Amino acid sequence: MPRHQPDPAAATALARVRGQAPEIRANVRRLAAFASVHACPTAAVAFAARIDTNRVLAGTSMEMPFGQSPFAIGRGVAFEALLRRHGHAELRRVLTAGLDTDFTFAAIENLREGYQPNRTGLRLRANVTQTRMAEIAGGPPEPVILDGAVLHADIGGLPAFFEADEMAIGVGGQIIVGENKSWPVVDGKPADEDALGAALDQAATYVLLGRQTLEQAGVDPACMSDSVVLVTPRNTGLAPSLHRQDVASRIRRIERLLSAVPDVQETAAATPQSVTFDAVADKTLPETARVEAFGQVTDVLGRVYEPASCLTSCGFAWACRACLFADADPGLVGGQVARALPGIASLSRVAELGQGAPASPAEEPAAVPLARAGRLYDEVIPAPGQPERRTA
Amino acid sequence: MSTALEAYFAARIYEEGRALRRTTLRHVHLADPPLGIAMWRLGGERFRAAALAWGPLDGPFQLAVPGEPRNRDLYFAALQPFAADLCARIRRTAATLVARERGGVTEHIPVDALQLVVPNKATVSALGLLGRYLAYLSDRGGVAPDPALIEAGKHLRFYARHARVPGQSLLVALDQLVAGHWATLLSPFEQANLAALDAQIEPGPGRHPFEASAAAEATARIGPEPTEDIDRTTGALLADFNAARGTSTDPATVGPLAGPLREHYHDLTVPVWQLMGRVVTRERPLPAAPSVSRRFESDREAFGRHVSWVVTQGGYYRTTDTPRQAAITLRRLEDTLARYEADQAVEDPARMIAHLLDGDAIRGTVASLTETKVVIKVRAVRRMVMALDSPDPVILPEGKRLWWTATASGHPWEVQSVQPNGAGSRVVLMLTAKPTSERLPVAGDVITLSTLCTGQQAFWLMPPENPPWTHRPDTLPAVPEPIDAGDAEQPAAPVDATAAEDPGRYT
Repeated sequence: MPRHQPDPAAATALARVRGQAPEIRANVRRLAAFASVHACPTAAVAFAARIDTNRVLAGTSMEMPFGQSPFAIGRGVAFEALLRRHGHAELRRVLTAGLDTDFTFAAIENLREGYQPNRTGLRLRANVTQTRMAEIAGGPPEPVILDGAVLHADIGGLPAFFEADEMAIGVGGQIIVGENKSWPVVDGKPADEDALGAALDQAATYVLLGRQTLEQAGVDPACMSDSVVLVTPRNTGLAPSLHRQDVASRIRRIERLLSAVPDVQETAAATPQSVTFDAVADKTLPETARVEAFGQVTDVLGRVYEPASCLTSCGFAWACRACLFADADPGLVGGQVARALPGIASLSRVAELGQGAPASPAEEPAAVPLARAGRLYDEVIPAPGQPERRTA
Repeated sequence: MSTALEAYFAARIYEEGRALRRTTLRHVHLADPPLGIAMWRLGGERFRAAALAWGPLDGPFQLAVPGEPRNRDLYFAALQPFAADLCARIRRTAATLVARERGGVTEHIPVDALQLVVPNKATVSALGLLGRYLAYLSDRGGVAPDPALIEAGKHLRFYARHARVPGQSLLVALDQLVAGHWATLLSPFEQANLAALDAQIEPGPGRHPFEASAAAEATARIGPEPTEDIDRTTGALLADFNAARGTSTDPATVGPLAGPLREHYHDLTVPVWQLMGRVVTRERPLPAAPSVSRRFESDREAFGRHVSWVVTQGGYYRTTDTPRQAAITLRRLEDTLARYEADQAVEDPARMIAHLLDGDAIRGTVASLTETKVVIKVRAVRRMVMALDSPDPVILPEGKRLWWTATASGHPWEVQSVQPNGAGSRVVLMLTAKPTSERLPVAGDVITLSTLCTGQQAFWLMPPENPPWTHRPDTLPAVPEPIDAGDAEQPAAPVDATAAEDPGRYT
């Protein structure tokens, strides 16, 4: 991922695309989520323009319920507070027990405190992060914990600061990514396996960006460990426990996904002047006008809808799904089905081919199994009004 | 999964505005009535049922609402009636035994097994965690927990673990039942929402299934994990409840105070209960597949073994499998899955379609049957050669073994040759056993052969009692232990998303 200088023209274009849509700061968590929808041009432009996709359609029936239970947030806040209480006593204890290194006198630096919550503050935090990581690579005598690191990286040609939820733990010249999660582990197994996968993806993204940061500082990126640690409550309470896990394969996967992200500056420059999320986010407009504006934007930019990843990662998912339904797009039920229908643009046409309608040469490869599927199904369960043709 | 079939389903549902049956038979046993369970947790609290509804699905539900589920005394007091009722029902059901002859051995297994139905797979996991918590409770201040809670915990753990067995009917997650029997416009991810599935099947007059399911997805609340709006209301009611009760856990005091919370969860549960009842009522009339009774017999056997171990002998289960146990379990689950898939396809022509499209099965007309003699080792033996005319092109290698669906548990046919025949193919196959009338179709029959076999293919040896060093863990699996030490901790205060610096961190 080469480094680029910010292009003022592209920045202006992206600001125009954003319009009055709510803006959001980049962070590693969002980057990990974006990696799962990176193939979508609309998601890529929204990511580049720092659009908070979860809030653009607020107030419409297309707004997705990404809200969190106050009790779930409270549990997370309480768990973090427990780890930080009394000079991070619990965190030191669990790291000492889990990493076989004494963290009693470890230096803990919290970069979330003492910096302005703006771009200047992020730049300063990124500089400190890079300096501290280089120092850790030099092998300081005592372990070091860096909380609230900010990493500078280029994704799709867009230079940005990414805030990390996690900690960088420096032990013996090696940097280990650590992450706190408030879901419990019981009998050595997570109570929520999906949450474990998401947490490991976030940690792997952090490792990837950390290696870029070390390379920029002229330090061997190999000192960033492939394994990460998760600090989670054990059993019913909040008492923390530590688990170490290798995420090398996840790092490779995310690196591959992010390297395939199209150059967002080129995308922004290529975006017609008329394309903007301004009307989509305009709460003074009626819902139909906002949803229609969204459809127009995505028609121009293009959309790639994969139910499992989009519905969990992107606030546009319901709106995209509605657009697909309106267009009778086969992608409505997932990319696997859509990819099996080369040359066929609509579900209506699929239905015709399923009933044995003559296929064009372009439709031929998909039409034969479709017609066969229709014939076999009708033999077993005849459509209403059709005579039964059930075979033995 | 055949993508051609899925595309065909999606297109027809889109055009016709109605969901389509994936099956002609019901492949899961449904009791009349089963015991329904619906549950609401407190957000992020995996072990805390803020409300638990249960009862026979054809009637009203009972509702346990502890008020503050993070208070152990209140929690256990609320769960006790559920635990006692569950234990009584299980003991009662397991009490009547029937003799079964198998391999010259007479066994006694329960005549019936208590069937639980829950709205979704997430509730199965939630019940498993609740069971893990309750099954190994520790004493508090020298006071032992109610034995019914511990026994109910063991039962719930058993049910949740048994739910992994493909085709089982002891604990039925209705979202999986519906998704297995109906084709809809929902992707596998969206099928986890029972209300959306139901809306696709019965969208209401003048509504397209897509619109109906999108509306249901936005508005229906199923549990067990609460949405933000539910827990906002819960948070306000819970704050009032805790302020009013002070430190009291006396049922006479807290009972009336929990009224608003009870009403809140009752209103949430009523539509879920109705939805569960509607789904079961819709699926039950479909004729059960022949193999359903055999699979339910296996369920009854497992149920009987469990009750004998837990109730009669007071036993506990391991919480972590040994490597040997894990290997055996995995093998059994894989075998059961293969058998379940074969059973469904062999018995249900609608289930066979995907295999026909994927090339795992062929269907055609028997053109001829010719007896011949072949030399096997040193003896010439009788064999039957069949020519089958398929209307569709067939691509199969020589020597491929296929089972005729009418004798899927018996001997296979081996492909001898495949030749083009008009638009389709002529497939010549040879039976790999002595030809008898019951093993042979008649010329002119339309038959289906597939790679699916419902019989035992091989006997497998159990792994050695003492695994080699390569398969021994560095540390022995942990001894089952109580996980309730955190019950004494002060509950975390709820934090509103608007007050949190970055609420997404706690997702």
